[in-house]
Amino acid sequence: MALMVRLLILLACCVGLIGVAAASEKAFPFAYDQHDYPNGLRLITIPTDFPNVVSVYIVVQTGSRNEVEPGKSGFAHFFEHMMFRGTKTFPTARYEATLKEVGAASNAYTTDDHTAYHTTFSKEDLETVLMMEADRFQNLEYAEDVFRTEALAVLGEYNKNSASPTQKLFEVLRDTAFDRHTYKHTTMGFLRDIEKMPTEFEYSKLFFDRYYRPEYTTLIVCGDVTVERSRALVNKYWGQWKRGSYRADIPAEPAPKGARVNHVKWPTPTLPWVAVAFRGPAYSDTSKESVALNLVSFLGFSESSALYKKLVIDEQRVDVFTAMNPDRTDPYLFIVLARVKKADDVDAVRDEILATLKGFTEKPVSAERLVAAKSHLRYRFALAMDNSEAIAAAVTRFVALRRTPETINNLFALYGQVTPEDVQNIARQYFVEQGRTVVTLGGGGSK
Amino acid sequence: MRTRMLLLSSLLACGLEAAPRLVEMPGQSPLVTLRVVFHTGAASDPAAKPGLAHLTASMLSRGGTKQLSYDQIVETFFPMAVSVSAQVDKEMTTFTAATHVDNLEAFYKVFRAMLLEPGWRPEDLKRLRDDSVNFLRVTLRGNNDEELGKEVLYNAIYQGHPYGRHNAGTVSGLNSITLEDLQRFYRENYTQARAVIGISGGYPETFPARLRKDFGLLAQSKAEPPKRPQPPPIKGIRLEMIEKQTRSVAYSFGFPIDVRRGHADFIPLLVAQSYFGQHRMSGGRLYERMRQVRGLNYGDYAYIEYFPNGMFQLEPNPNLARPQQIFQVWVRPVEPPTAHFALRLAMYELDKLVRDGLNEEQFQRTRSFLTKYVNLLMKTKSAELGYAIDSLYYGIPEFGAYVREGLKKTTLEDVNRAIRKHLRTDNLYIAVIASGCEQLKKSILENSPSPMTYNSPKPEELLKEDKVVEKWKLDIRPEAVRITPVERVFE
Repeated sequence: MALMVRLLILLACCVGLIGVAAASEKAFPFAYDQHDYPNGLRLITIPTDFPNVVSVYIVVQTGSRNEVEPGKSGFAHFFEHMMFRGTKTFPTARYEATLKEVGAASNAYTTDDHTAYHTTFSKEDLETVLMMEADRFQNLEYAEDVFRTEALAVLGEYNKNSASPTQKLFEVLRDTAFDRHTYKHTTMGFLRDIEKMPTEFEYSKLFFDRYYRPEYTTLIVCGDVTVERSRALVNKYWGQWKRGSYRADIPAEPAPKGARVNHVKWPTPTLPWVAVAFRGPAYSDTSKESVALNLVSFLGFSESSALYKKLVIDEQRVDVFTAMNPDRTDPYLFIVLARVKKADDVDAVRDEILATLKGFTEKPVSAERLVAAKSHLRYRFALAMDNSEAIAAAVTRFVALRRTPETINNLFALYGQVTPEDVQNIARQYFVEQGRTVVTLGGGGSK
Repeated sequence: MRTRMLLLSSLLACGLEAAPRLVEMPGQSPLVTLRVVFHTGAASDPAAKPGLAHLTASMLSRGGTKQLSYDQIVETFFPMAVSVSAQVDKEMTTFTAATHVDNLEAFYKVFRAMLLEPGWRPEDLKRLRDDSVNFLRVTLRGNNDEELGKEVLYNAIYQGHPYGRHNAGTVSGLNSITLEDLQRFYRENYTQARAVIGISGGYPETFPARLRKDFGLLAQSKAEPPKRPQPPPIKGIRLEMIEKQTRSVAYSFGFPIDVRRGHADFIPLLVAQSYFGQHRMSGGRLYERMRQVRGLNYGDYAYIEYFPNGMFQLEPNPNLARPQQIFQVWVRPVEPPTAHFALRLAMYELDKLVRDGLNEEQFQRTRSFLTKYVNLLMKTKSAELGYAIDSLYYGIPEFGAYVREGLKKTTLEDVNRAIRKHLRTDNLYIAVIASGCEQLKKSILENSPSPMTYNSPKPEELLKEDKVVEKWKLDIRPEAVRITPVERVFE
């Protein structure tokens, strides 16, 4: 490209893209190009003014939610590992060698709803990366012995997490709160299923055939890149990818019928935990339930909340305290989590959490606090996008749900419309006894 | 890039006595990043009060100011979504924050007071001391075998040395700290000469002058860096075993090296480390031989600089600069039946590295990787500021340029010579976190064979290699083994 053209593009980027998140502007401030290919693949290109670096995120809309068959928990995550096991053109050693030569930082992760493969590298290597990634998404090929060995690395991953009680706490919380939906199990999966993964070679091929298809996949190319080049390269390497036809039948969770409790006995000394959860809504950028509960998680339980002040700062009975209303494709859980300093205080802390949640159902929150919480969420999102990789990562979370960054703007517009009365009405709808699950965890000889 | 170099070089020209020093990276971004580093840390803890530097930093970043209680600070920060983080290492204490330029004025008013007018409230001390004790006892000792293993290794290597205790101190040390101790430590260590203030983003032109004036209120002191003794020599291979009820076996092993940024062998050793075990990347030699080919665990890596929280981070934090570093291998948890074999394999690979070095192709590929990868380390403005401040500390040029230029000049012979000179398979510590240490100890001391079995057919060549590895001798004397119950660690 001629120098002058490059300069002009650079200037255009600088002028157009550096404004972030003043209240009247769009929450996602970057101009982006969204392009659909005939095979169902979607490409989102986000040119930024951060120089030299490009980040590619490949988002597949499959995760542990798609593990519908019994005994297959953890398989989406295991399959993510297999995606690094090579093709005819790029056997693992050549794939790794090429990534090394281009100085790329490459990794992947799996969640309930999606699997993301991400690579960050210098802009001159864009074609190499898109070509290699296209190859493994279309031509993955591994032998059974390699498959069996990789299953052991997944067990190793389970092992490295196993010293942490929160992994177990979440495993039991989900298992207790859900009966039918696949959110019943964690992305890591049950240990019993992980241990028999080496025998699932045939199923792994079926999994690839079902979900690693263009209609499930969105490419995000973010950084020092032009729309034209990004579109052309993706067309060249990903255009021939064949569309699939599989649709997973995710079992719907029946309406909750009563409060549930469970307890995890942790074998070694640790501080006790309490998790208070309520069945919550699915992610939405048009209906207020999910955003209202997200606001409650900050209003009621963030560092600036009255209950945090009471339990953590003044009475000092709790040392870790947080709440979350994670964005999920299907209805999931609103969760409050506390690590309690003394085992004797666990019940009292649980009751304080329940009383605070009940408070949201009894009277509207103060308008002033609601404005502060909305402002917090807006700035929090803006502050996270401080480089191309972080922007791509932020977009990925939403693309996994709605396949477009526009959902971010819709979402923040929706936040703007939430009133104190909305929060109260939605709290009344969700913080009900029949949707409640409480799980506690206690250690052997807590100190 | 050019602006930064100019600012850094003018700073260096001013000499280290110009205080407080500023690193400025003006730009157009609406995100303003502040990074304030004090050249003090856990190595300055009094012998009887380990944890003092850590608790002092906590009191600043998570305690009240003279005017505002901590909950008032949190309340003020909430609509801006800002917070202040502190990091304490042996020689550096770092406070970081980022704010949208809309809120810079409101944020800075509080930030300034947090660092310059701390409140020293007893209720903050009680809460933050509890947090530190719980971090050591519960989060690190109880819930994270991998980070525990790494910290146990450092403590073993630096016994009797100012680096010989965890950055957060010990439980007894933390419990002995008074408000007076904290205030004295602050007065003596948070001084103008020890402060370096980094700022980046679209801040007003007048802002740096204001920072200079405000931080000019800090006490005066000499700027000379403290002299640290050499780490004690290690005789033979020593096993530091921690007995803990846990599913799997975690290892970290290593020894001190003379090499740090700025040393003639830093870049050659960086190449060797990257080839052998680039952190959390699948291309390293150890990763390939241990995880990829044999499925022993989730990953295996090597380090020539301190890198805490590696299980949560893909890139290291800056501002962990030290005059002394160690070479370290991190073997992620393995299943107990393969624990002896895994340790042997890691040592066998290290031995191979020391004997054979890299070949031309491995060297070229690793060099090419590092030349580009170094850019990714500084992808955020905060990291860029941090690396610039570290470069001041080490007296080297801007880090990216330092690495790239160094790599250009480095040859395969340089790398292999540096490996032979600085790396070894004897005179080192092995930290082990395991259940049933006695049994593993017996197997290791007796050099009992530890044959591997696999769940799938393996190539003849690998099975042949296993025959060597399963009998790989580790020469460890019984008196070089210590087993400590986990309850006693960090107490």
